[in-house]
Amino acid sequence: MSHVNYVSFTILLVLFLVVTLTGFAAARWRRAEDLLHLNEWGLGGRGFGTFVSWFLLGGDLYTAYTFIAVPALVYGVGAAGFFAVPYTVIVFPIVFVFAPRLWSVARAHDYVTPADFVRGRYGSRGLALAIAATGIVATMPYIALQLVGIQSVLTVMGVGVTSNAFLKDLPLIIAFLILAAYTYVSGLRAPALTAFIKDFLVYLAIIVAVLYIPARLGGWGHIFGTASAHLAKTNPKTGKPFGAFVTPPAGEWAYATLALGSALALFMYPHAITGVLATKRRDVIRRNMAILPAYSLILGLVALLGYMALASPAVTKGVKADGGNAQLSVPLLFQHLFPSWFAGIGYSAIVIGALVPAAIMSIAAANLFTRNIYVEFFNRRATARHQARVAQFISLLVKIGALVFVFALPKTFSINLQLLGGIWILQTFPAIVVGLYTRWFHRWALVLGWAAAMVYGTVEAYRQPAPGQPHSHFGGSSAVVPVLHQTVYIAVTAFVINLVVTIVLTAVFRAARLPAGADETEPSSYLADPETAPAPTESVPAQG
Amino acid sequence: MSIPPERRKSPLAWTAITILLLASLVGTLWVPFYARVTPKLGDFPFFYAYQMLWIPAVAILSWLAYLLIRTPKRTGSPASRRDDPR
Repeated sequence: MSHVNYVSFTILLVLFLVVTLTGFAAARWRRAEDLLHLNEWGLGGRGFGTFVSWFLLGGDLYTAYTFIAVPALVYGVGAAGFFAVPYTVIVFPIVFVFAPRLWSVARAHDYVTPADFVRGRYGSRGLALAIAATGIVATMPYIALQLVGIQSVLTVMGVGVTSNAFLKDLPLIIAFLILAAYTYVSGLRAPALTAFIKDFLVYLAIIVAVLYIPARLGGWGHIFGTASAHLAKTNPKTGKPFGAFVTPPAGEWAYATLALGSALALFMYPHAITGVLATKRRDVIRRNMAILPAYSLILGLVALLGYMALASPAVTKGVKADGGNAQLSVPLLFQHLFPSWFAGIGYSAIVIGALVPAAIMSIAAANLFTRNIYVEFFNRRATARHQARVAQFISLLVKIGALVFVFALPKTFSINLQLLGGIWILQTFPAIVVGLYTRWFHRWALVLGWAAAMVYGTVEAYRQPAPGQPHSHFGGSSAVVPVLHQTVYIAVTAFVINLVVTIVLTAVFRAARLPAGADETEPSSYLADPETAPAPTESVPAQG
Repeated sequence: MSIPPERRKSPLAWTAITILLLASLVGTLWVPFYARVTPKLGDFPFFYAYQMLWIPAVAILSWLAYLLIRTPKRTGSPASRRDDPR
């Protein structure tokens, strides 16, 4: 890995340039009267149909998590990493149920963020602040994961491999500055338009990979056989087997709760909600829940690239040479099994596949900060133009916050960055999703339930060492639950604590007749659809 | 719009929608059911083949649920179209 392959590098550079130009040009796409308004900068004008939304949501949800983190986990521990498949299966029916309600109420009341909704529903600035802060904090490790993904490609390409710490990270920083610049200019239109390029590259690279690589490695039977044999061997670092080829009984709870917790958490992330709110109609969301699984198929196949990497001696050697960094397994697989020009396309798919969601994530976090922290607590009279300016600036700060996570947390398995975000963001579920159906929960009970779960989740995650490094922290995302005696994803345990505290305290607070706050939404808002039900205006004659 | 259109579905339709949407959760979260190597599907061990097959399955189930829940477009009411605030 000492010298740069100029063919691959040139292809990556050219494609990166195309994406950059597209990102800047996106400001002119579906041109708005005034881009400096959060509905425009932050939600792309709320006018995306089924087709664009499919690309935007796909570009948004399938990230370096899919292309780097999941295959790295499969490479390292085997079956346990495959939980991402059930996760991306069950997320769609779950979202199918509640997302249209959230879309309708947001459209009827002009909400831009999930915290806007919580504020309107419960009449509580404090609860809205908790939701907004959680969204921002949870997004940062998720953006950090995108950075790790880009970094692993650059490492394999030999770009920035020097002893000078500044030069080492320079390419990554340049890529990020350019991303920040066009996000700043074009807002959500930039990732929506570049998502087309991203998805084309991703589908191309992955379809070719699963057709071409197994043939070169001696077929699927050989790949599964090698993986199975390797995972059963003892890892000298931990004294236990590397992993398991099929989830063992002791791992079943962790497997199922990682899938369920991740699925419940995904559409609580501000960037996922942004993708939902940017759609044109209710039906667009449901239709997308039926066609988005196409990306899950890609995710499943990419996960299996982890096993292909295990079957290639050149890749396992390369991973060991970099101190056992499993994140390199897919880029190394491309490097050793593709001709250099196609490896360049594969690298581009990963890098651009990380940049597009990172843009959406930073926009969504910026919307949250502007609407629910800046305007709410610092400047109540900010004009729409001023708000959009603040959001632009915050989108830069969020990316810097993500860098902190990159450097501060162990990178044995980068998937833990996303799972840590999941622990936090899932705790907004009761206020948002349950709130879409009932006002029974008391706003203060929700705040206390959230607080208890956040403390438990953070402390428990802190206590998990990385495998083979007994004194490290934030190295895992599952922990044994005392009464149950099973290993469970910390997010799910914290979620149960959250619900129990909220329910008990709601009963207490209601009995004590504590003020419940004003609800500005009406039941009809939750079913509003501009096509059949012109938003909250009255005096429409009853139909049929 | 005194009664929102989605609410006017029959209980039977709602039951069907619930089953369609719940199926994949039960099918993929019950890990002991599929945590085994055999029977293989081609070269694919059961554990992997089974979960991969749920991906097209969930797409089809969600599409059926969408068809059931969808409000048919009313042809004769141009008034409701004009209100689309785009």
